[in-house]
Amino acid sequence: MDMKRDYFEDVQLFESNVVLFWSVALMLLLFAIPFFAPKYYIFLLNIVMVHVILAVGLNVLVGYTGQISLGHAGFFAIGAYGTALLMLKLQIPFVVALLFAGFIAAFFGFLLGLPALRLEGPYLAVASLGFGLAIMHVIGHWQFFGGRTGILAPPLDIGIPQLNASFILQTDAQKYYLILVVAILMVIAARNIMKTRVGRSFVAIRDSDIAAEVIGINLTIYKTLAFAISAFYAGIAGGLFGFVLGFFDPFTFNMILSIIFLVMVVVGGLGSIAGPIMGAVLITYLQYSLLKNIAEVPVLGDFLVTVSSRWFSVMGLENINSIVLGLIMIGIVIFEPLGMYGIWIRIKKYWMTWPF
Amino acid sequence: MKASRVWIFAVVAVLGLLLLASASEAGKGFDDKEVRVGQFGPLTGPAAPWGAVLRGSALRFQLVNDEGGIHGRKIKYFMRDDQYNPAQTVTVIKELVENQDIFAIVGGVAGAGSIAAKDYLTKNKIIWIGPTASARELVFPQTPYLFCLTPLYEDEASIMTKYLVETEKMKKIALMYQNDSYGQAGLAGMRQRLAKYKMKAVAEIPVEPTERDLASHIMKIKNAGPEAVILWVAPTTAVISLKTAATIGFKPQWAGGTPLADYPMMHKISGGLWEGVINTSYVEPPDSSLPVVVKYREAQKKYMPEERWGLFFMGGLLVADPLIDALKKAGKKLSREAVLKQLNSAKNYKTIGPTINWSKNQHQGVDSAMIWKCGPGGKTMVMQGWTQNELATWKKK
Repeated sequence: MDMKRDYFEDVQLFESNVVLFWSVALMLLLFAIPFFAPKYYIFLLNIVMVHVILAVGLNVLVGYTGQISLGHAGFFAIGAYGTALLMLKLQIPFVVALLFAGFIAAFFGFLLGLPALRLEGPYLAVASLGFGLAIMHVIGHWQFFGGRTGILAPPLDIGIPQLNASFILQTDAQKYYLILVVAILMVIAARNIMKTRVGRSFVAIRDSDIAAEVIGINLTIYKTLAFAISAFYAGIAGGLFGFVLGFFDPFTFNMILSIIFLVMVVVGGLGSIAGPIMGAVLITYLQYSLLKNIAEVPVLGDFLVTVSSRWFSVMGLENINSIVLGLIMIGIVIFEPLGMYGIWIRIKKYWMTWPF
Repeated sequence: MKASRVWIFAVVAVLGLLLLASASEAGKGFDDKEVRVGQFGPLTGPAAPWGAVLRGSALRFQLVNDEGGIHGRKIKYFMRDDQYNPAQTVTVIKELVENQDIFAIVGGVAGAGSIAAKDYLTKNKIIWIGPTASARELVFPQTPYLFCLTPLYEDEASIMTKYLVETEKMKKIALMYQNDSYGQAGLAGMRQRLAKYKMKAVAEIPVEPTERDLASHIMKIKNAGPEAVILWVAPTTAVISLKTAATIGFKPQWAGGTPLADYPMMHKISGGLWEGVINTSYVEPPDSSLPVVVKYREAQKKYMPEERWGLFFMGGLLVADPLIDALKKAGKKLSREAVLKQLNSAKNYKTIGPTINWSKNQHQGVDSAMIWKCGPGGKTMVMQGWTQNELATWKKK
């Protein structure tokens, strides 16, 4: 059913009119959300979309190229600090600063890609972990970066203040539109990259790097490129994240965050574009919202409070956050290795072949 | 349409939406049946022991509700876990304000995250009483809505140094401080006090919060030959320092602030080394016989028997008291202005902590702390009652 007859069919953005229709409907919904959703959910959506950008980028590395990174919080931090400091210290307009910070992150991604040429599996995981931790401590150590106290993000001015063309985004809803547009562009870009020669090289490296080298793929270039692209995404996401929060310190970007990012990609589904999006939405919502306020959910909340006071430690219900996230991870790995995207594929197949 | 026209249309549409999206007002935070109050802090993660503050406040509100509430209104209390991570601090506070429509925040255990919270809460006119991070930049510049009821870290360090020099007659004092705003405040407080005696510290050693090998730091301090070493660091760092010093046979008088004054815990994790350490504290001792402490201690046994009656838990009760008092005095006709008026006129108000004095122009209500010593088995021994820092810089006009 997903048979492609020519090249154009493979690269086009919308596979059919049905897909086009639903994509447009989704876009309209996304752009309309600030008009009816409560303010808090808009803020939450901002965080969700930042995580979507990052997860899509991380998936280029983990899902498509088959490399692992436990250091993406480091790139995230580079993006956040890079954007804010370029704006604060050099008065560079936001758009330029954001892109520039993305490229700084990409450069560090390239550097991390170099050892990745010789390291695999757990060794690469440890190397990238070390990178993430090092970034956190270097930033914390240097007073130039604001030290451990952290820094306040400057006003989010998407115009060019030097030309008197200021346009400062203040409310969460205004930031929502900015992030939404960036997120859409980044997701489309990721999809397009995977349809090019570069994308196919990534997949070839994932499936077998020796075979890939034999058919003429330069491993040095493509492996470091995968790291650079992935880091660029993390950098852009980080730059936006800084403004969503308005304030950040080095320990915001800790090791747990790197692991949560990986959880998003794995739970969502490796090697797809829709997968990490779904993963980022689900995990962010659970971690930042639902599991924090679960005690106030009617019926279920009371039940969990009773259970927790009977069986849990003195921390009580708060442990539920880690417990549920852990269970989801285990469940996905055992029952649905393709993640949420795998579930979606099965639903699709079921309806396409219905009633058989 | 041509592709370029689609782009122009998209850009114009997005800019239009940006202009349309505007701010709205926060709610009033109460109705005839309840007043909604929130608190945030680390309930899970590495800083989880400090989460006892949140549960302490829960006990205080439960007590009030069981007494029938305040003018017919019960307190509905929301606890939110931020894992000591600023990103989550901002998120949970937004959720409390925008979704739960809270009236006030009491306590709030967060380091760096508090600064981000301050701006946001001020903008939304949420009353915030007693943040437990007593950093100067949190209290000053003053906002109409933030009230502080713990001594600043620098005042605590100054009081500690005063005690060491005047009462213990020590001449050589060293400081090990965490390289962040908490540690820097300790450094400032000690320097200010020593300058008054025309003295200088024999060593001032910064330490990163995450450093675990402190051998070189301790050697440097030992070589300076101090009689007393003040620790302005996190509990883990403090315990590692004592253990490292013990292995090289270095036994000065150790001292620290309130964050290190939970004696049963510190005694346990240091394997008994904490015995003899002196601390400042802004809470009455856990075994105090003050009627109000006895009342709360009994309540804890009744409602939360699984909880440990310790310093941080008492801190939670402490930060909840002034709000309850102000709500009672504000009367049946409740409003933010009425409660602010009561808070601004708090004179010599005292429960289980220091005496609080707030006025319209001064929301840093406290300048004093007690001096404790860790006795055998983590028992609290009071060396000196409430002691003022008469040098407090913020008091000068």
